[in-house]
Amino acid sequence: MEVVDVRPILAPFVSFLCAGLVFGFGRSIFWRRFFTFLAAFIKMALVLSMLPGTLQGVVYVYQFVEFTPGIGIGFRADAYGMFFSLVSSTLWVFTTIYAIGYMQGDRDRVRFFGFFALCVSTTVGVAFAENLLTFFLFYETLTICTYPLVVHAETPEALRAGRIYLTYTLIGGGFALVGAVMTLNAAGTLTFAAPGILGMESGVATLAVIFLCLIIGFGVKAAIMPLHGWLPIAMVAPTPVSALLHAVAVVKVGAFGVTRVIYNVFGVELLRELGFATPLALLAGFTIVAASTIALTQDHLKRRLAYSTISQLSYIVLGAALLTPLAATAAVLHIANQAFAKITMFFVVGAITRTTGKKYVSEIDGIGARLPWSMAAFSIAALSFVGVPLTAGFITKWYLALGALEADAWWYVLVLITSSLLNAGYFFPILHRAYFRQAKEPWPPLEPGRRFETPKTLLFPIVICAAYVLLLGVTAEVPGMPFSVAQVAVDGFFAPVGGGP
Amino acid sequence: MTGPWAEALPWAIVLPLVGAALTPAVAVRHPRVSGFWAWGVLLVTAVLTAGLVSELVARGPFSYGLGGWAASYGIELRFDHFSAWVLPLVVLFVVIVPFSWRYLDHVMPDERRPPFYALLLLNAGGMIGFCVTGDLFNLFVFTEVVSLSSYALVAVGGRGLAAFAALKYLFIGAVSSLLMLFATAQLFVLSGSLNMADVSLRLGEIGGGTAVMVAFAAYAVSFMVKAAMFPVHVWLPDAHAIAPSPVSAVLSGMVVKVGIVGMLRIYQIYFGAEVLELGAFNLALVWLGAISIVMGAFFAIFQDDIKLMLAYSTISNIGYIVLGLGLASPYAVIGAAVHVFNHALIKATLFLAAGSIIHQTGFRTLSDLRGVARTMPQTSAAMAIGAVSIVGLPPTAGFVCKWYIALGAFEANQAPFGFALVFGALFIFIYYIRMLNAFYFQPPVHASVAQASETPWSMRGPVVLLASLCLILGVLGGIPLTFVEPAVLDLLPFWGQ
Amino acid sequence: MSSWWPGVAVALPLVGVAAVSFGRLTERWRIAALVVPAVAALAVALLIVGDVLAGRTPELFVLRMTPTLWLVLRVDAPGALYGATVAALGLLALVYSFGYVQRGPRWSRYFAFLMASFTCTMGVAYAGNLLTFLIFYEAFSVLTYALVVHEQTPEAIRAGAKYIAYILVGGSLVLAGILLTYFLAGDLTFVAGGFLAADAARGQLLAAFWCFVVGFGVKAALVPLHGWVPDAHPAAPAPFSAVLSGVMVAAGAFGIMRVALDVYGAPLVRALGVAPWLTVIASVTVLLGALLAIGQDDLKRRLAYSTISQMGYLTLAVSLLGSGVMAGALVHLVHHAFLKGTLFFCAGLWIHSSGVRRVRDLRGMGARMPLTAAAFTLAALGMIGVPPLSGFVSKWWLGVGMLQVDAAIGLAVLLAGALLAAAYLLPVVYAAYFAPAGPIAGHAGREAPATMLAPTLVAAALTIVFGLGSHYGGFPLQLAQAAVAAWFGGG
Repeated sequence: MEVVDVRPILAPFVSFLCAGLVFGFGRSIFWRRFFTFLAAFIKMALVLSMLPGTLQGVVYVYQFVEFTPGIGIGFRADAYGMFFSLVSSTLWVFTTIYAIGYMQGDRDRVRFFGFFALCVSTTVGVAFAENLLTFFLFYETLTICTYPLVVHAETPEALRAGRIYLTYTLIGGGFALVGAVMTLNAAGTLTFAAPGILGMESGVATLAVIFLCLIIGFGVKAAIMPLHGWLPIAMVAPTPVSALLHAVAVVKVGAFGVTRVIYNVFGVELLRELGFATPLALLAGFTIVAASTIALTQDHLKRRLAYSTISQLSYIVLGAALLTPLAATAAVLHIANQAFAKITMFFVVGAITRTTGKKYVSEIDGIGARLPWSMAAFSIAALSFVGVPLTAGFITKWYLALGALEADAWWYVLVLITSSLLNAGYFFPILHRAYFRQAKEPWPPLEPGRRFETPKTLLFPIVICAAYVLLLGVTAEVPGMPFSVAQVAVDGFFAPVGGGP
Repeated sequence: MTGPWAEALPWAIVLPLVGAALTPAVAVRHPRVSGFWAWGVLLVTAVLTAGLVSELVARGPFSYGLGGWAASYGIELRFDHFSAWVLPLVVLFVVIVPFSWRYLDHVMPDERRPPFYALLLLNAGGMIGFCVTGDLFNLFVFTEVVSLSSYALVAVGGRGLAAFAALKYLFIGAVSSLLMLFATAQLFVLSGSLNMADVSLRLGEIGGGTAVMVAFAAYAVSFMVKAAMFPVHVWLPDAHAIAPSPVSAVLSGMVVKVGIVGMLRIYQIYFGAEVLELGAFNLALVWLGAISIVMGAFFAIFQDDIKLMLAYSTISNIGYIVLGLGLASPYAVIGAAVHVFNHALIKATLFLAAGSIIHQTGFRTLSDLRGVARTMPQTSAAMAIGAVSIVGLPPTAGFVCKWYIALGAFEANQAPFGFALVFGALFIFIYYIRMLNAFYFQPPVHASVAQASETPWSMRGPVVLLASLCLILGVLGGIPLTFVEPAVLDLLPFWGQ
Repeated sequence: MSSWWPGVAVALPLVGVAAVSFGRLTERWRIAALVVPAVAALAVALLIVGDVLAGRTPELFVLRMTPTLWLVLRVDAPGALYGATVAALGLLALVYSFGYVQRGPRWSRYFAFLMASFTCTMGVAYAGNLLTFLIFYEAFSVLTYALVVHEQTPEAIRAGAKYIAYILVGGSLVLAGILLTYFLAGDLTFVAGGFLAADAARGQLLAAFWCFVVGFGVKAALVPLHGWVPDAHPAAPAPFSAVLSGVMVAAGAFGIMRVALDVYGAPLVRALGVAPWLTVIASVTVLLGALLAIGQDDLKRRLAYSTISQMGYLTLAVSLLGSGVMAGALVHLVHHAFLKGTLFFCAGLWIHSSGVRRVRDLRGMGARMPLTAAAFTLAALGMIGVPPLSGFVSKWWLGVGMLQVDAAIGLAVLLAGALLAAAYLLPVVYAAYFAPAGPIAGHAGREAPATMLAPTLVAAALTIVFGLGSHYGGFPLQLAQAAVAAWFGGG
């Protein structure tokens, strides 16, 4: 059931407005924080207010403008979009709190918070995009808005990273644009629809080119190998950026795009017939294992996390490409599961760097005693990535593996298991060093008057996000939790071919 | 069935031309008054053109016979959908002129202002005339008005290289004018008429023939030169880079479009007559357009001077338009036609912003301008928006055109050109990203950059306004589309491959 | 029957975890906060045993994670038996640890992790479906890491790395097996006699079975998956070695039991034809473990190999699929826990008081530490199977069961294992009592303090009690027979 409602457009607009206000009045710390928080909460409230409707199958739509008939900007909050926007708007709140603490004393905070808000705005725009054009519009805007954040440090290294980032993402964007244009040409429409909008009548060759273009286009941000090169390099950005953008917004937008392409542009039935998804799944499987293997060798904490992200993102791609309801459930869920766990990790790494100045795995011996709460949170997130039951990661792994079995592709179960072990292989040494090694030199003590191991504004988001990782794993079934939304989304994907999760 | 505004059609031309003539007289005592005078004249003209466009929207294309003579004998003015281009054109002038008030302080002595503004008004009047004239001879006359005033505007900056650049412009322009004159004469001899609609009718009766084709070819080459397409672009970069920035904005944004609008006019004549097989010509346009895109970008990459770089990007953008025209599919032509306007807007933004920066700091190369965004945040932001827009990244005005032209490429089954278009645009961004890095993310090297102040409001206002329009038209890109769509769809049936 | 007691038993040790982790308590209160919940847990476990003997099945629905995944505790006879063993041995090890583990910054960590492992092992015992089983199983496997590396010596850290690598790979395979099971059956709840349908795809059934066997086999130390055992035991603190050997390695064997009898069911295992292979693996484990034990000079390493050998009996019993032999196996699980606990406790006492780790250094220790040596001797004899000690009872039932199913090879393995046990344990006893005093014994310490000696002696005494009282109601045999009745129908 579709209902015309302005909320799908208001949600991205709120943070867009916030960006404007931050740029305008951001020199005052008070107003900057005030506007950022106000927008963050309003946005969350807007998204949450749509949740009950979504769970009952209501889809909120709003047609914004039409350039020429059939080509225009429209917003549509279906269950999948709701899922993604819930994740990103929730995490925006926490990342904002964290960023305020982390960026304290940093220069150019106006620019930072302004672009930060813009990025969130575009992410939600992507989530609520009704058609490929709108999607692409926000997708590319996100690329540009992220650039100032990546080069924030303004060092030659940061500039280089920024250049590489842009090269990858803009070329990807070019492919996505070509793909979108070809889709319009072949299908006559761009509006996402459950059975997909393309059909066999366009010819296999055209469909193959479209698929390739769109997957390359969105795959760059989803960091599918070999398109992943930008992600580890972009880690020079300040940690809140790495956290929100490289755990949630930017990379997830890519994965979200791949899923949209598979389910709402091509559709399950057509892809099953064409068989294009199989090579994609294989590539995702390869990425999962290869990226994890590379992560084993990284000593820089954030780079290790970056490779882990690359690996984890391909869970989503794999889930989508397996074309079974259970795997799709895993793909959708993993958007939230990975986001919360990875953001926790980035937060902790940022807290370590802010508190002690350490950036490398080999430097953090015995840090568990200095930062007990943070490291506990990190452990939870690590367990989630390994896929230990009762954490969010287990749910993903469970559904993804069942989905693989359902698709008669048992070897992906092996891939998942290997990946879990590799995850253990690169996260457990961190825990081991943190807890079971003697510190080489005493850690800097707490500043007098401080009650917590690290500033409250850093610790609070860490603890909440880690708790949520557990919550996602334990109470996934409670209505209103992501799982229920994911189910509605997956039901939508598979409604035309029958058979839900 | 004409409304009240239709009667105002000749005034839209006469007003700026008369205003130009009166400028020296008005400003005889206070030369600076000329700037306000020119602005006032343009403002009234803008109101007139707005009225004309409203008439067009309400009742469709209309004509006006000068001196009461019926069409085909007298001089006819015709306002159709392509003529609607005059409204944004005049509006851009209205925005650019206030910018020039303060800008010219450093460029020329006060006593040279009246001729400057006179030339500017002449230029505007010439372009309006060019867009609304209904006969071929006046098309030539107005082309010359525009061209001559442009040469003079380039030279008016007055520094050493300006004269040389203007001269180069003049020589190449003269060849183009001769070709146009020749073609006009040819058509007159063949058809015995100069009225476009009439010529079109009679060409239909004559049928094709070598002479008809030669005239077409002469027109085409002439307009290509005016549009500065590769490989006849050589006059453009120097002229546009050396002229004062408001003039650069006018030249790059609007004067080169004379070539494009001219092409469309000639199409109208020939398509009406159905005497032309365009397949090969379109193919040539497509290739030339693609090459222009790439070569423009390629040259721009190696420039350190920001205005020179903007000048080269004009070549790329004309490439888009020509590519779109050559593709000859509805979406592509719509995109190209819209880009005529959008590019003017974007280029005006960029040139005015670049002018502001040069004006405030005294530097014009990237290496000197590092860190300027800290002291001139709004102007730099406008520059950034312009850069993103000219590359055609969403959500800016440039994207809408890129989208439609690319769509047209696939619609016309010319996938390789679709790819060339999309990735050629990215190629251009290599340069702009260097610019943004220098402005935003590198520390200043010159004290005058580190201590520069923002421009006065008369300069900043236009820049900010134009930059906002770049963004707004990215989201509300449908507005210009609604104007060109009917005109393009009228022409298209004859266009095909 | 819905009941809170299984949940209480599982959760009680967590009180201890919280107390040592977060509480700002004095040491006395901390010890109280550890001991009281442990005692209470044992009491509840025994209460549950009573319940189960009365024919009830306490069940607690814990949590539904997603519509198809839920956690449930459900105590049947084998679970009650194993749970009570865990609670009892855990309590002994806890008390022993107060004396053994040095004060210092790592003290809290040790006890927190010990209690947490305690919780998880109870959870394994009481798990009502495969998912619950897996959660507790994985959790205690991971938590145990902290205890293995407790000493933080290079050897301990190496042993820890080896341990965690083995365990994670094993855990992953278990997960794969569970996935396949769910895929085939759409359910994970244990049912005596199995819930997998015989008509499911044979290949997938086999794949899942071997995933389970290999996965649990790592923990159960089946050869050739036993590599971590001889390293982890010497590295860990002695009380924890006792728990590790006594109940945690058994968790692997317990898992194999659950899978074979509560997931597949005896008929399906027979139909799949996997039992003979399992017999071979288990026999090799028994014999090879015992043979390797003979050569070890490090006492704890020798005991570790002994564990490998003894736990092989359980798998061997499963593979024979007979009611009698399974009853024997369950009894052996309990008896072995206390026997091996005693042995490790004694080894710990020697290390603690004199720093003696090697067998050859034990010469003359019988005189310096008579009570310890006596306890060791008793447990060693029990382990060999000398009547009327507990080890004899379990081996007797194993042997009888093997005869029931005409498993002559099994019987041979059993006897050979017993002989080899004599070969690796009696030299220790000999060295302690009869060999001329070695250089170390001369300046060795005396008997350990009561906190450590008492648990050792209690465990040793249990050897006699279980041996003599095995026929009485409430003793392991009765529960084992109840279990077997459920599995094999009437027994």
